[in-house]
Amino acid sequence: MSQPTPEVYEQGKGMDAHNRAMREIRARREESYDPHEPTRVWVDEDNTPEGVMESLTIILNTGGCRWARAGGCTMCGYVAESVEGGSVSHDALMDQIQVCLDHEAEEADEPADLIKIYTSGSFLDEREVGARSRKAIADAFADRERIVVESLPDFVEREKIADFTGHGLDTDVAVGLETATDRVRQDCVNKYFEFADFEDACAEAAVADAEADATAGIKAYLLMKPPFLAEPEAVADMISSIERCSEVPGCHTVSMNPCNVQRYTMVDDLHFRDGYRPPWLWSVAHVLEETADADAIVVSDPVGHGSDRGAHNCGECDDRVQTAIKDFDLRQDPSVFEQVSCDCEATWDAVMSLETGYNQPLVR
Amino acid sequence: MTDYFEVHARDGPARLGELRLDPPLATPATVGDRLADAGSLWADEREVPEGSEGELTVLPHRGLPGGTPEEVRESFSVEYPDVEYPSAAVISSASPEAHAVDAYLLSDGQSIVGHGASFVSGIVSVREALQPDTLLVLSGVATPRNVATLVYAGVDAVDAARATAEGTRGRYLTTEGDRRLSDLEELPCACPACRTPVEEFTRADCAEHNENALRAELAVVRQRIREGRLRDYVEGQARHDQWLTATMRELDDRWGYIEERAPILREAEMTAATGDTIRRPEIRRYADRVTTRYRNRFENPLVLVPCSARKPYSESKSHGRFHDAIGWRAHLVSMTSPMGVVPQELETTYPAQQYDTVVTGRWTEEETAFVARVLRRYLERNEYPEIVAHVPTEGYREIVERVESDLALDVTYTVPEGAHPTDESSLENLAEALAGELKYSKREREHNTVRAIADYLLGDGAGDDLFPDLRTTGRYPKLQVRDGDDTQLATMVPRYGTLSFTLEGARRWVESSVPTKRVEIDSFTPHGSVLAPGVVSADEGIRVGDEVVIEGPRAFAVGRAEMFGREMEGSTRGVACEVRHVEEQ
Repeated sequence: MSQPTPEVYEQGKGMDAHNRAMREIRARREESYDPHEPTRVWVDEDNTPEGVMESLTIILNTGGCRWARAGGCTMCGYVAESVEGGSVSHDALMDQIQVCLDHEAEEADEPADLIKIYTSGSFLDEREVGARSRKAIADAFADRERIVVESLPDFVEREKIADFTGHGLDTDVAVGLETATDRVRQDCVNKYFEFADFEDACAEAAVADAEADATAGIKAYLLMKPPFLAEPEAVADMISSIERCSEVPGCHTVSMNPCNVQRYTMVDDLHFRDGYRPPWLWSVAHVLEETADADAIVVSDPVGHGSDRGAHNCGECDDRVQTAIKDFDLRQDPSVFEQVSCDCEATWDAVMSLETGYNQPLVR
Repeated sequence: MTDYFEVHARDGPARLGELRLDPPLATPATVGDRLADAGSLWADEREVPEGSEGELTVLPHRGLPGGTPEEVRESFSVEYPDVEYPSAAVISSASPEAHAVDAYLLSDGQSIVGHGASFVSGIVSVREALQPDTLLVLSGVATPRNVATLVYAGVDAVDAARATAEGTRGRYLTTEGDRRLSDLEELPCACPACRTPVEEFTRADCAEHNENALRAELAVVRQRIREGRLRDYVEGQARHDQWLTATMRELDDRWGYIEERAPILREAEMTAATGDTIRRPEIRRYADRVTTRYRNRFENPLVLVPCSARKPYSESKSHGRFHDAIGWRAHLVSMTSPMGVVPQELETTYPAQQYDTVVTGRWTEEETAFVARVLRRYLERNEYPEIVAHVPTEGYREIVERVESDLALDVTYTVPEGAHPTDESSLENLAEALAGELKYSKREREHNTVRAIADYLLGDGAGDDLFPDLRTTGRYPKLQVRDGDDTQLATMVPRYGTLSFTLEGARRWVESSVPTKRVEIDSFTPHGSVLAPGVVSADEGIRVGDEVVIEGPRAFAVGRAEMFGREMEGSTRGVACEVRHVEEQ
């Protein structure tokens, strides 16, 4: 009714608009980055199907996301951190790995069992990370227990996963699904694959898993509250997305992350004009509680929690709720949320019952 | 098409309306509990809802919050279906578009509220883009403090979402403030929620109080609109938040928007108690007309006098004494802030008769400059054989001296330094200054009054064009206007100094070279009133309260406008004009 033209045409029209807008927004950036340095690297601990492990997280600078060059996702500013010119040589990539290993040697007592590699693109896209580099990186971490690499679902192929499982590395491919709802992924996030593609990637991982001694699976990354969704809509979208993901064979973990406001994004423009507020931490807690029975590990890592640009509550309870969320990540026990309360839950209740597409954000 | 909303009364951009649901609702009001949200198309596909007569159905929408890039707004704009039940569309003030709905909700209210310039620019562009008789709703922004100004700007309805949410945050809202609950030593309110002792007062109570305070303020606003006195209220109340005062001022600068909606007459008092009164559209319109349309027809000297608190001036004690000294030997023009100058013929004209100012004798530089500007323009247009300024030293004399020097005039001052104009010595000077002058007749006075009012209402020269062979009967100020054959053409309306025409007078107007304020109607003969759907076209210059000629294939009539011209053309409901006389043809 609301779309007089065919759905496909509408989608294309929306995509063109989003991309034009995002190209204009991204063009405002001026920084460029050294291709011999990773974007970021840190040590932490993580919940995996094999339990909690020490982890080394690497944001590899691979020249950035191809989709972002066209315009890309409305909330993603990582492309702004990518290298100028757009491609990084094999040698430079290996330099970045060395920097990460040096960092780990300095910061951690012993090598982490879990390696996580994100690229602000697709690690398995050979235009970003060539087969030679992929294999070399697999070699570099062959002595670890587990590895996570990030990729769009199109590039998930059993042979590529085998590069890692072949070393006995349990391998997870992190897929930025954002939401199981195709409409929200396309119109709000401007990401153009479908849930069916995600299911196909999970199936590839399942085959890779069956074909190797080590395990292989998919870790779905979800985005809570993309632009244009009101708080209750965003919460409902996450609950149904987690339920749907957990039902897909091959998907063993869901990482549900609240949208934060990154520079040079459409979300930043909306936020600047009082048109966007990141989700409440209560919303994150609520979704985790509601989906505690789902047949997958469900975790969340609110970035910039408690700040105006990250998921936040009233300012008083943000750290306590964040702690409960991190606790839930490790234990998967929803009773952690019974330990935290705050007066601002009443405000969150009001937002959940009153916020709509024509009054958001109701409370800052 | 607006089937479910009707505007019953206007007070500038503010409207008193009726949301014709089952049961109906008087607006401005909170409508949150009467909305049925069919949901966002961002989140899901939606069917056209079944709707009901009891609710305003918000059709499936895509809210475009503030900051949404233009191309995204364009490509995700929604085509709203034309449905049979009360319906609302969600639109952005950045790219407002009309749809076949009864009401509109803004998706970017949060971005425009809180900043005067953005808010005014948003509301004005929305109002200009939409059908005039549609309900404009702002959700999630209204507070007891801001709602009067929201309505003053042209918002018809709000909801209590913001007031409720703020209550849950422990923010106690009043028409004059926004406080932390913990900072209150007592509850400054007597609503049911506030009967709890302050120590036991919870955030839930606070949310309830906030809603009560919002509803009570809306009732005040509705009453003010009924009285035609919302601006008087806002001038004071908006002082409690800077952006609200900024909004009122920004609106004063939107001449096209604010003047079109300002009535040409009101029975209500106009309070002139702040420096902002001088920028009211009614005041500026008066100052403009008195210096571009009005023309003095007397050949006697000019006497400038101070205004009086009592209106019309001629009924005041002080003016009675001036009159005794002058004795119809001079043309009397009152100087006043915030009106500027009021020639004696226009003393009953709105708002000269209706304003009530604060009298302290202290003039601000802005008042002085304004009155001087009006007086200068007045004297540039009107020549007198002699000018007498019978004004006090304070304020008035300085203004006259300024203009005297600017225009190289020679003014006689008759009030001695430090004396009052009603002092014997002053009055003696005044009488002496007019020694030897001849009196003008009652006939001349009455004719000049009628013609001056015609000039003021209808345009420069209208008084001469319309009434070349004028006769007046009756007793001032209830004059009857007749032609040489004794046919009555019009009556002077003393309450606001207008003329109401007879059918003969209306014919004379149509045949004259004076631009007619004409409403063209369909083929019917109106009795009592002309409803908006019957209007085929209407002169864009028509303002609420204007005398209008109503013409159609089956009728020639004269009456008074209840809407402004474009509103008559664009509305599908409501009374466009009240008919006074009609002739079938």
